[in-house]
Amino acid sequence: MTLLIGAWTIGLILSLLALGVFISFRIFDFPDITTEGSITLGATIAATLLVVGVSPAWATVAGFCGGAVAGATTGILHTKFKIHGLLSGILVMTALYSINLRIMGKSNVPLLSEVTLATRAEQLAASLLGGAANFNVFGWEVGVRDGAMFVFSLLFIALVGVLLYAFFRTNLGTAMRAAGDNAQMIKALGANVDHMIIGGLALANGLVALAGALLAQYQGFADVQMGIGMVVWGLASVIIGEALIGSPSLGLTIVGAVMGSILFRLLVAIALRAGLDPNDLKLITATFVFLALILPNLLASLKSNNARVTNA
Amino acid sequence: MLEIRGIAKTFNPGTLNEVRALQGVDLTIQEGSFVVVIGTNGSGKSTLLNAVAGTFLVDTGAIRLAGTDVTRWPEHRRATLIGRVFQNPFSGTAPHMSIAENLSLAARRGRRRGLGWSLPRIFTDQLGEHVRRLSMGLEGRLDNAIGSLSGGQRQALTLLMATWLKPQLLLLDEHTAALDPKSADQVIRLSEEIVSRDRLTTLMVTHSMQQATSLGDRLIMMHRGRVLHDLQGSEKRRLRVDDLLARFEEVRRGELLDETAADMLKQTYV
Repeated sequence: MTLLIGAWTIGLILSLLALGVFISFRIFDFPDITTEGSITLGATIAATLLVVGVSPAWATVAGFCGGAVAGATTGILHTKFKIHGLLSGILVMTALYSINLRIMGKSNVPLLSEVTLATRAEQLAASLLGGAANFNVFGWEVGVRDGAMFVFSLLFIALVGVLLYAFFRTNLGTAMRAAGDNAQMIKALGANVDHMIIGGLALANGLVALAGALLAQYQGFADVQMGIGMVVWGLASVIIGEALIGSPSLGLTIVGAVMGSILFRLLVAIALRAGLDPNDLKLITATFVFLALILPNLLASLKSNNARVTNA
Repeated sequence: MLEIRGIAKTFNPGTLNEVRALQGVDLTIQEGSFVVVIGTNGSGKSTLLNAVAGTFLVDTGAIRLAGTDVTRWPEHRRATLIGRVFQNPFSGTAPHMSIAENLSLAARRGRRRGLGWSLPRIFTDQLGEHVRRLSMGLEGRLDNAIGSLSGGQRQALTLLMATWLKPQLLLLDEHTAALDPKSADQVIRLSEEIVSRDRLTTLMVTHSMQQATSLGDRLIMMHRGRVLHDLQGSEKRRLRVDDLLARFEEVRRGELLDETAADMLKQTYV
């Protein structure tokens, strides 16, 4: 049960990553590799601040802001300096590797005795439950720490999801979606598309960095390597979410991205439990995304081929 | 009022693909005037519209709109003064967003876009009425994505969007060229209705001789990046399709003459 709860919690935390990837890839159609650097950036900023005694809430906010700056930088490289989108992301991601090492001063920072959001949630839950170390959920024993972090993540992600949905229904958010949908049209309606892209990437990477900040506090460390493969991970979550929801409506797509992230993490946890070599994980994730990307076209062409055969 | 002073634009200068699209155009359009622009392919008529809209900046010359010099303004800034309908029905609307959302974007053309709701109740209430006036049967489908609509319906909506806030200048760039005849008719009728109702200063490019004679109070014929004919008042009112065709024939013969003259000169001197 602890394993399942842990998978759920990480899935929830990484759904912030999925939401970030959803914004850059789906709303702006921008393949943003900055993600790999900004998730680590969020973790390193939060962990480093926690070590020097900053409160967990502020450390987490600082992580978000760091990611937003990274995303905005990618946006500026792309729009103001006309660098290809993919390359802009690669440049910022590469630069972030050194920046992350600079921030931490070493390749990882453990959070052993620091007060984090995870320990705060645990304390709160313990005081609510009157000091029990375990509690009962539908007959399963669940550790207070795991349970508390799960509930905290759930509430936090629900709040972020609602805020994000509300934002994309405002005048500014609607214009951002339009900038991704039809840039020519929104330009003719007086919006500065460059600013929309910069702002959108800042928001996306802010969310990704937020995922990093929470992940570091949950796992108890920040590591300079933790971002590798995260773009594909986020993309896999978004694709699973779309398959689960199958609706273009904004609110449901956001819910879908969260569900996709959780489901993907559960699948991974089950596969690892069943004996999958963790080293193969990224290969399998990449293959999965590859298949998910080509399957719709493949099925469509098979269908039209069949139709042709039956017609003939 | 739109004042264009000696604007010129050369694309890909100094290369094999050099195109001198505009070669010194002067044009003053009075407030409330409806000007139709025609011309052969490559005559620069769409380029003229794009120069005014700010799709690119002109090499020389000046553009003043409503008393402001907009020559150096980027496209999105000029959009505060200009409403546009494109030739391609896919260009003017966001396909994955609903009709209501598209209109809400148009309702803030050139205004600050902040954190207010894009679809407040007071706005959605007026929507139905405006959309009904298009008589495209869209008033019951405000929450549908634009992507599901036909080209004619999209152009009608784009027209409504371009004029939702009264623009200082309305640019129509062959906005019925990609439509079937029936939809084209409907969209033209709507354009006429809206332009005359709001007394909009309008610049319309068209391929249709019929539209060129029946619409507007002034006609500009362009050729090789210049204004060749400028007909207004009674001259424009008396204009028939045959007269226009005759003028095009004249242009064609002029072109032939250019070539034969060049050949002759070549033979004599080279």
